[in-house]
Amino acid sequence: MPREGKSRTKALASAVLPPLVMAGVFLLVAGGFFLSIGKPPLRTLADMVLFAVGDAYSLSETLVKTAPILLCALATLLPARLGLVSVGADGQLFVGAILGTAVVLAWPAAPAALLLPATLLAGVAGGAMFGLVPGVLRGRLDVNETITTLLLNYVGALLVNALVYGPWKDPGNLGWPATAAFPPAATLPGLLGTRVHAGLLFGLAAAVVLAVVLARSRWGTELAVLRGNHKVGRMIGLSFPRQAMLVMTLGGGLGGLAGICEVAAIQGRLQPGLSVGYGLTGFLVAWLSGHRPLPTIVVSFLIGGLIAAGDSLQLYAKVPAASATILQGLLFATALAVGGVAGRLRRADG
Amino acid sequence: MTPAVEMRGVVKRFGAVIANDGVDLDIFPGEVLALIGENGAGKSTLMRVLYGFYGRDGGRIAIDGRAVSFASPVDAMAAGVGMVFQQFSLVPALSVLENLLVAWPQAPWWQGRTRPQVGRSLAWLDRLAPGIDSRRRVGELAVGERQVVELAKVLNLDPRVVILDEPTSVLTPAEASRLHGFVRDLAAQGKAVVLITHKIADVTACADRIAVMRRGRVTDEGPMAERSPAAIVSAMVGDAAIAEPSRPPAPAGSTPRLQILKLSTVATHAGCPVTDVTLEVAGGEIVGVAGVIGNGQVALAEALAGLEPVVSGDATLDGASLVSRRGHIPTPSDALAYIPERPIDNAVVGDLDLAVNLDLWRLSRQPLFGARPDRARRAFDLLARFDVRPPDPALHAAALSGGNLQKLVIARELSGTPKAVVACYPTMGLDVVAAAAVRRTMLEHAAHGAAVLWLSEDLDDLLMLAHRIAVLHCGRLVGVVPRAAATRDGIGRMMAGVQSDAA
Repeated sequence: MPREGKSRTKALASAVLPPLVMAGVFLLVAGGFFLSIGKPPLRTLADMVLFAVGDAYSLSETLVKTAPILLCALATLLPARLGLVSVGADGQLFVGAILGTAVVLAWPAAPAALLLPATLLAGVAGGAMFGLVPGVLRGRLDVNETITTLLLNYVGALLVNALVYGPWKDPGNLGWPATAAFPPAATLPGLLGTRVHAGLLFGLAAAVVLAVVLARSRWGTELAVLRGNHKVGRMIGLSFPRQAMLVMTLGGGLGGLAGICEVAAIQGRLQPGLSVGYGLTGFLVAWLSGHRPLPTIVVSFLIGGLIAAGDSLQLYAKVPAASATILQGLLFATALAVGGVAGRLRRADG
Repeated sequence: MTPAVEMRGVVKRFGAVIANDGVDLDIFPGEVLALIGENGAGKSTLMRVLYGFYGRDGGRIAIDGRAVSFASPVDAMAAGVGMVFQQFSLVPALSVLENLLVAWPQAPWWQGRTRPQVGRSLAWLDRLAPGIDSRRRVGELAVGERQVVELAKVLNLDPRVVILDEPTSVLTPAEASRLHGFVRDLAAQGKAVVLITHKIADVTACADRIAVMRRGRVTDEGPMAERSPAAIVSAMVGDAAIAEPSRPPAPAGSTPRLQILKLSTVATHAGCPVTDVTLEVAGGEIVGVAGVIGNGQVALAEALAGLEPVVSGDATLDGASLVSRRGHIPTPSDALAYIPERPIDNAVVGDLDLAVNLDLWRLSRQPLFGARPDRARRAFDLLARFDVRPPDPALHAAALSGGNLQKLVIARELSGTPKAVVACYPTMGLDVVAAAAVRRTMLEHAAHGAAVLWLSEDLDDLLMLAHRIAVLHCGRLVGVVPRAAATRDGIGRMMAGVQSDAA
């Protein structure tokens, strides 16, 4: 039928057009930013793309950044499918890193086959516990989860500081606040000789599993029912408190996994500065992806590239250090603005 | 006589759906026009177009002979068109007076409330309902009182055209007949009044002329004097014959299936909690629950459905308690069919499709992965059987009109074989045909031995179909009257809290 064909073209246009417009607007805005700091806009933009995906090394660095962002985005996405707004991925990341490190510090001489899995599991458990707290508060006492997760982020970051400046500081570091280096048995190996580590694979696997589970399983429908209408959920016997605790715990586990992977693969020891805002970045990524797992992979990769390119630009093109963060902010603002306009046009149309 | 409002070929589309398909309608000053028709016929849409709430996609509207095009209700009010919506636009946290002053047109914003202004803003309210204290907060008022405040607010703007959208659906019989009087007064003062309604009683009580809408068009129009109520009903529903259910037979068994024992619930924001209510419903029996909205009927139904905690007392279905130790009713089951009020808020998930919404009760028995294979087919059958339009299982529930949502909920709740039915205002907002179908379905369940607890705002329904009528006032049971002993006036008095002699 012609009408069906037309509506399909329309659907395709409304799916493809906004990202293209978004990219165009972002390039304009970013070019303007480079111009304002006295850099040639086109050259710098081209450099940026090169530094993100130009060669094998750049690509690997992009993937290194993608891993924690993806895991943190999924940690936000899962509560969001119940309608909860969790901003606590950073705190979960820190506590995951702490608990994983505790295992390594307790049994530094254990064989790799035991130590590495135990470390990772402890990281997951740490994040999960840190997610469970706001989950219980929300489910049982109706305490706003956004506020609690936001505040617990400080608790997580400062716990790391307290430990590495205090009891866990390695005397061999000559005053540098960090634990002893992880033994090889507790180190997550890089893939194919790069710094890209298994955290990326965990993130990809989690995204795919979540995509299938949320779309096809009974549990996915139950979450959708509770998000859409609490009362109806209660009427058919679903428990919002139980689901709130479950999604916050599972999401927290993913955040904790991001933390322990970062420690065990990249940093090699627990130290402050573990996360460069991965939690908040992940939150925005999840939001931009419409809380759908598969688009989250793509957006995480894009943002990972932006961060990695920002690091390289700073080194080679003498762009100020804050540029990467500024560009990230501009990208998110552009994406939200274009998304908002597209949404309004769609509504006016329908 | 020149019409106050002249509409010619008015078209309004929502996406692919045509709500108004070239409507011609005249509204005359000094006359009450009853706009009637089935659900989704386009009555409210047409009036919202006139009120500037919706833009129109075609056609012409003239007021007093001048063509107008309203961009918003503000323009419409300036031109003398006022509308009272089904959902009120009052601020619950403000007092009655403040609500009226907010909408008072003449005063500039820097001017405080002067004494004459206060007086003038209360003039209409005093005439409509002298009993309302203007210092009370709107949130504390009963629904009927809010309706009057809303009407006063609109009349303060001195409109020449007054549109009332189903004004009597929330009123007691006494309040409704008083409203009919106001409506006649307004017409006597030369205002053009449009009354959108589903109720034949409204039409016969105050309309001068009727206009019938069907499928987006005015199909019939003319003076009231020329028609009998039966002719109006048949004009509303067209060729479809409505088989009004006959009076139900006496209950099959006398053993109570649904027992409510000294039940009390906690206070919630919406109206009175239930206090110490004891009521038994036998298998095959229909017990009507009457009461002014907000007097505990919904609280009672929600407690039975396991939605609100119970403070004390018990409720049993076939001897098994519905109330768990922690005060909530445990895993609800489809043994008790529950039709809540306001389906979009209480009964469906708006952003899920119709198939899932129809399948909610079976969700816990689904396989962990994948939907049951018969979900779509079952949905298709139910949508067709209960005449939900459009019958598309993949549509999101939020896309349905109010009446069709109600049918969707009825399809889900009453298509099985429940042991008890708790229905809150199941026919509210339904057209004559759909309402008759719902009544028939309820009677069938009663005939099959289900205990039916029927909350209704429509006393005629209850007087016709219920075996006994229980009346709630402020959460307490005022009395239970057998149908034979029930009269409209008696029930109305009990709804106002007067203990009946019979009870």
